Amino acid sequence: MLSRIWSWINRRWPLSDVIRWSLDEEIQGGSSFLYTFGSAILTVFLLQVITGIIQLFFYVPHIENAYDSVSFLRTQVPFGWLINQIHRHGADLMVLLIALHLTRVFIFGAYKRPRELTWLVGVALLIIVMALTFTGGPLPWDQKGYWEAEVGSNIPGSIPVIGTEISRIMRGGGSNIGQLTLSRLFAVHVGILPALLAILIITHLIAFRRFGSVGPWNESMRKTTEPFWPDQVFKDAITAMVVVLVLVSLCVFAPKPFYGPADPLDSSFTPKPEWNFLFLYQALKYFQGVFEPIGVVGVPAFFVTFLVLLPFIDRRPECNPVKRPVAMACGFIFAAIITTLTLIGYYSNPGTAPAVPPPKKEAKAPVPENVKMGEQLFRSEGCISCHMVNGEGGSVGPDLSDEGKRGRTSEWLTTQIRNPKAHDPNAIMPAFTSLSDQKVSYLIDFLMSLGAGDYRPKPEKQEPAGVNPSARTSNTSSSRTSVGTEAQEHPPSSENELHKQPGEAAYVIGNADHGKDIFELKCFSCHGPRGTDKVPNPGSDDGFVPALNPIDQDLFNKDPQIFAKNIDTFIQHGSVPSGPNPQFQMLAFGDDHTLTQQQIANVEAYILHLNGVNRAELINPGMKPVRFFVIVVPAVIIILLLLGGIYKCLPQGK
Amino acid sequence: MINEKSPLEKTGNPTTTRRKFLKVFTISIGSIVSIALGIPFIGALVGRSSSLKEKASMDKVTSVSHLSVGRPARVNFLSQEEDAYIYKTVVHSVWAVEHSSDDVTVFSPICPHAGCYYNWDSEADQFQCPCHGSVFSITGKVLGGPAPRPLDILPHDIKNGELYVRWERFKSGVPEKIRIS
Repeated sequence: MLSRIWSWINRRWPLSDVIRWSLDEEIQGGSSFLYTFGSAILTVFLLQVITGIIQLFFYVPHIENAYDSVSFLRTQVPFGWLINQIHRHGADLMVLLIALHLTRVFIFGAYKRPRELTWLVGVALLIIVMALTFTGGPLPWDQKGYWEAEVGSNIPGSIPVIGTEISRIMRGGGSNIGQLTLSRLFAVHVGILPALLAILIITHLIAFRRFGSVGPWNESMRKTTEPFWPDQVFKDAITAMVVVLVLVSLCVFAPKPFYGPADPLDSSFTPKPEWNFLFLYQALKYFQGVFEPIGVVGVPAFFVTFLVLLPFIDRRPECNPVKRPVAMACGFIFAAIITTLTLIGYYSNPGTAPAVPPPKKEAKAPVPENVKMGEQLFRSEGCISCHMVNGEGGSVGPDLSDEGKRGRTSEWLTTQIRNPKAHDPNAIMPAFTSLSDQKVSYLIDFLMSLGAGDYRPKPEKQEPAGVNPSARTSNTSSSRTSVGTEAQEHPPSSENELHKQPGEAAYVIGNADHGKDIFELKCFSCHGPRGTDKVPNPGSDDGFVPALNPIDQDLFNKDPQIFAKNIDTFIQHGSVPSGPNPQFQMLAFGDDHTLTQQQIANVEAYILHLNGVNRAELINPGMKPVRFFVIVVPAVIIILLLLGGIYKCLPQGK
Repeated sequence: MINEKSPLEKTGNPTTTRRKFLKVFTISIGSIVSIALGIPFIGALVGRSSSLKEKASMDKVTSVSHLSVGRPARVNFLSQEEDAYIYKTVVHSVWAVEHSSDDVTVFSPICPHAGCYYNWDSEADQFQCPCHGSVFSITGKVLGGPAPRPLDILPHDIKNGELYVRWERFKSGVPEKIRIS
């Protein structure tokens, strides 16, 4: 029956010819594991296609929804985590395998006549895979992807004449990165590039089958042959199996994190390209100013030209690497350049290495001892929790960075520290009556030193005498206070915070590491480091600012979504503690736009993390990753061993 | 019909001439159709889909009294923005440096080199860009790094002690300040 179907098909479509063509080859020198990289790449490519298509069922290429749709896939779709992680790690693995494949082909001299075209198509495939990783990275519209797109599309802009146009086309018609950029990257990533890749893979395979493997360079070893099917295919299958196991292990034990939603306003994120572009990124740093366009065009052009011209420059038929010292040396240098640049790029931290040394530092006079003591007291006595100095500290009280320029007398400052209400009956600052006179004197020396050496482009603004320094911000008895470095366009939040709805941020999976940075900047002053401190809040019923770690049991919830919603209301709309006259109250970070929704999502992820809840917890994983690993990997290994045993028992021979 | 006019006698073989004509004809038709449709197709992809519009209004940013003389402050504010077919209120931020109560400089927060957002380092009294290490003085002057021009100053106004700013973006990576949105 089967043979009748077979011949029925073959009379109408040359199926057996195609199969014979794709499998029928005598491999000179026999099959080898060294020849398995190509099929391993093909395996990963097929996995990329399959996982890519599955992701299309869930992904939405819209700047408002892309991140959340990927988050949903990763946490709430059964095995969504596996599909997304395979696609991400598969991309890395594919680039790595291509590098190995290319190295193998180079060492065996397999790019030489008559296989030049196979090599060239291979180079084209490499470039397309690089383009796929570039266009795929921004699709989740997370912090990492957004900044990759921003910087990546900006780089060609410095090329003379056509640069602007290239940059504009990459961004989707307009000059800014936005929705059209995302749509464009999406269309190129899922439509154009995979189609091109598939066509070129077939071209590559046809060219490969036309001339076959090049075989060992040793003439005598080439005499023995083995058929491609089944000898080589068997080894290909073993390698492919190992690759898949490695891929699954990476997905389970080294999952890619949630980078947090794209936030164009967040400058604390240092954009770095995907690892396979680090060598270009690093090389570009050596071309500055007028040389930059040379670097932008020249560096990628150098690498591509080397690969394209290789089979036409190195035309000797000799394949033995020992007898090709020049070619091997060039290849080695080429690989060394890429590896070194990648490593430097990986370990470089651009944020901490300004191009010029700070000019002011050496000009500054040594700090007197009493001022140092005062600074220590400023920290140890908790002043810094409420007052910012030179960008560090809390935002409840006025910023004191230029306190020394205000023309205050030390008597005035003593009164302000000992009894703030003497200057302003509504002042919320606690009276520090217990400090010794010596300590107050040190504090005043420190405060008077602030801002004294600062840059002053114009004559400074003098505040009218007698005005309370805190009057600028702490001017009402409801004492909703903060320094004015952020916009405050909304009226103070009302008393009924609990009835307010959570904002956008509650539904977004933030990045806890990033949230920690924001926490230390904005929340630290009242909630203490890591949210553990009990900061006094006189005038409130509790007497303390509510701790966040551990958090109030009414707010805590094991479900990360509910937990995030519970705390989101407070972060969005603020809250006034119950009590006759609470000194501190929670600011409305969302309503005031002091923090963006993305930043709030990150802070929430951090607060959840402090309380032992993972914001990115897999809600509906299908199967827990580790359990999946424990079941799948041994099963595969057992089957392999069984097959190996059967093979050993078979009578050996042709 | 055109092919009836073909000079059959010239090549001696009428079939060959006819075939040649059919080839040319088919290829021409194909080419014309490809060009006629191909140009608009590619035009849609590479064309400019948004034009530069003049922005009439300024956005209220903050009260000048919230700023400190000689110390840059990053201030967030709301602005109406259109991105292709999406119209929404977004949060922008600018760096404001107060010189006096009626004199403030407002810098775009975007590094003129590659479009990253830079930071103020109060230790060093410099603006520093985390991406490629460009450094600027408080007046926006380039002190180091690859930045091709000083920080971009945004149009702004002070009315009744409130700072208003017109949000604009400029082309990065070039020495000239060219507005792009």
